[in-house]
Amino acid sequence: MVLVTSVRDYINRMLQDISGMKVLILDSETVSNVSIVYSQSELLQKEVFLVEMIDSISVSKESMSHLKAVYFIRPTSENIQKLRYQLAHPRFGEYHLFFSNLLKDTQIHILADSDEQEVVQQVQEYYADFVAGDPYHFTLNMASNHLYMIPAVVDPSGLQRFSDRVVDGIAAVFLALKRRPVIRYQRTSDTAKRIAQETAKLMYQHESALFDFRRTESSPLLLVIDRRDDPVTPLLNQWTYQAMVHELIGLQDNKVDLKAIGSLPKDQQVEVVLSSEQDAFFKSNMYENFGDIGMNIKRMVDDFQQVAKSNQNIQTVEDMARFVDNYPEYKKMQGNVSKHVTLVTEMSKLVEARKLMMVSQTEQDLACNGGQGAAYEAVTNLLNNESVSDIDRLRLVMLYALRYEKENPVQLMQLFNKLASRSPKYKPGLVQFLLKQAGVEKRTGDLFGNRDLLNIARNMARGLKGVENVYTQHQPLLFQTMESITRGRLRDVDYPFVGDHFQQGRPQEVVIFMVGGTTYEESRSVALQNATNSGIRFILGGSAVLNSKRFLKDLEEAQRISRSGSHMV
Amino acid sequence: MATRNRTTVYRKHRDACKSARAPLSLSASDSFGGPVIEMVSGSFSRSNHSSYAPLNSDDPGPSSDAFTIGMPPAWVDDSEEVTFNIQKVRDKMGELSKAHSKALMPTFGDNKGIQREVEMLIHDITDLLRNSEKRLQKLSTRGLSEESNLRKNVQRSLATDLQSLSMELRRKQSTYLKRLQQQKEGQDGIDLEFNMNGKMSRLDEEDELGGSGFDDYQTIKMKKGQHVSAEREREIQQVLGSVNDLAQIMKDLSALVIDQGTIVDRIDYNVQNVSTSVEEGFKQLQKAERTQREGPMVKCATILLILCFIMIVLLVLKNILL
Repeated sequence: MVLVTSVRDYINRMLQDISGMKVLILDSETVSNVSIVYSQSELLQKEVFLVEMIDSISVSKESMSHLKAVYFIRPTSENIQKLRYQLAHPRFGEYHLFFSNLLKDTQIHILADSDEQEVVQQVQEYYADFVAGDPYHFTLNMASNHLYMIPAVVDPSGLQRFSDRVVDGIAAVFLALKRRPVIRYQRTSDTAKRIAQETAKLMYQHESALFDFRRTESSPLLLVIDRRDDPVTPLLNQWTYQAMVHELIGLQDNKVDLKAIGSLPKDQQVEVVLSSEQDAFFKSNMYENFGDIGMNIKRMVDDFQQVAKSNQNIQTVEDMARFVDNYPEYKKMQGNVSKHVTLVTEMSKLVEARKLMMVSQTEQDLACNGGQGAAYEAVTNLLNNESVSDIDRLRLVMLYALRYEKENPVQLMQLFNKLASRSPKYKPGLVQFLLKQAGVEKRTGDLFGNRDLLNIARNMARGLKGVENVYTQHQPLLFQTMESITRGRLRDVDYPFVGDHFQQGRPQEVVIFMVGGTTYEESRSVALQNATNSGIRFILGGSAVLNSKRFLKDLEEAQRISRSGSHMV
Repeated sequence: MATRNRTTVYRKHRDACKSARAPLSLSASDSFGGPVIEMVSGSFSRSNHSSYAPLNSDDPGPSSDAFTIGMPPAWVDDSEEVTFNIQKVRDKMGELSKAHSKALMPTFGDNKGIQREVEMLIHDITDLLRNSEKRLQKLSTRGLSEESNLRKNVQRSLATDLQSLSMELRRKQSTYLKRLQQQKEGQDGIDLEFNMNGKMSRLDEEDELGGSGFDDYQTIKMKKGQHVSAEREREIQQVLGSVNDLAQIMKDLSALVIDQGTIVDRIDYNVQNVSTSVEEGFKQLQKAERTQREGPMVKCATILLILCFIMIVLLVLKNILL
């Protein structure tokens, strides 16, 4: 909640002191930051009557000098250049510049130089440089997310760019929270280590004065971990509402693009909004599993039908007056009901077409339960099944490979061959590439619960007890990490501190940043953990929000670059 | 949440750049320090003005494209008028609430004055709302420029305000009506004499009833009953009339207002749509320009011109040779 509120506060502060008609100018990243927390009607209330992108503002030549321009952009070199041109040929009466991160002195100098007509009234840094989608989940929406998998020697500038953007994002989060954390990172990941060290340098050396906030009893903790420590979670198929929508259709900035589904009639091919802030039904159902959602939707439809029936029954004038009074709410309810019904219907169709119930059961078995022989059988059967799609086959083999990497290499080879023969689309070696990146040697945490005795015992107990729902039995590795932090038992060996930081006791606020991206299953885990009121508040962030498609795409991109890099070397 | 103000650093740089530039521009300035001082005073006066005031005429500005905070376009007058009306409506709604509560109080005399006041207020408010709505429709425009998007957004924001005001008015009226009905029913059989004075205007009805053989008490009671029902009916009709008016206004406004929580309320959706439609518009304009340039009329005109020119040359040659 606190991140969403911070971004909203920043935007409110930007707009409140400027009177008169305003135009808000954003860039391609800040438009996501703003749209996800602020609605168009709220902007209109603040007298912002036009919203433009900084790229297209120079196309039109008409001068609108009765408007005041409010810029909210990232301080990148491209933006500064565009802004330079626009300041030299100003179209608006006043210019108020707000940057979402730290400005360099050279950038200020460049802008001041171009501002010959002195239209700039203020230059401020408002640190809303992240996309706050859910109360405890933020993302940076990075396009070239795959760079984290590539070692520094292959593409040093790319990695530097990635690292810079991540450090900027993390710094903005802590500036918005007004805290300076103690930093820990995952030992086995070079990228995580680099990011942790650069963040520490920024917060404690370069901009030490800016980050010098009032110190509280216990400093918050920033934990930088790597996606490759838990490659299983993004590969699994999801069955809770928000995660399922993202996995099957795709959720971007809390919007679902129904045009991606080809089977809808033309008038329903629109985008819909799934935001827990604005939609009460979604807020109460976003972490529920598919079966429960179906029941709740049915209940909602029944309620709606009752209201509709009473609206049909208009007899007296008072009924008419009441109908007109309640019409806006009725329309809103109708829109909401049809949105959820459409989504659930489409997802059911996809589940049916791709036989996901069957596939997902095997996936969950691979992720949670033991038995290499049975697993091999199950995967082979599904590979032979015609109705299983290529991407599902690839995921199954990957999950098998991650689990039984060392056991029975012959059968593993057989699976690879079968996959290659069945799915020519996937370049051979993608599974091997995954194993190289995230194989058992590279991982720190106990992903499958088979490393230390306590976890094995716990798994056996769970197996005996049986699970409530076969499809949602998987717990992401993040859950164990959070438990360790809550108990104060996060091992220094695995997650060392940066420099000479140290933390006495348990932190009260923890920000976990996952380099390489988070998933909605993990954000659900964080939300549920926060709801248990354990005294620690967790916030999760990542460089992107992954589903299996995106994770595989990142792997392919990284593989391509590594291959071309190794050819050059 | 932390912020950092870089304006002072920026201004320092800007002034430094300016003074570095000023010695180089020796044109059009009398004194050496002239341009610097004028520009500084210009920026001071500009920052004190509101957005709608024109720039001071005594600020010459040596640069040819001296920047002015210009006069806003004409449609802004309409929107300002609507804003002013909305404020008037708000004031009148306050007066209406007071009048309602006065009318509902049990009176010892003439209720008519208050009721007429209430009627007048409601009538005024409905008129203001209808006028505002008409003016708002005038703001509509076709076309795909930035300006039209701006107008559409202004329209939307004012429509939302108007709609909420009309709904508030209707709610006030329906509660007033309900309470009035309750009150009137509760008055049966109490204090007939007190109401007698107020009903003196209904002379014709009294005459009718007086001659049909009822005794005094029953006549009075029946007259009172008729009175009350007639008056109640009249009030109900009047309230319903205004309800109808408002329903009409609301229907028109609802086309303009954004549904909250839907995709239309998202900033990024609107920005993308504008950019695609502006691009489309731009392409259409280019195509139109091209067809116009290569149009048949233009071809005709060029051919004619060439022929004229040839004829003139022939004429001149003929004169020279002869």
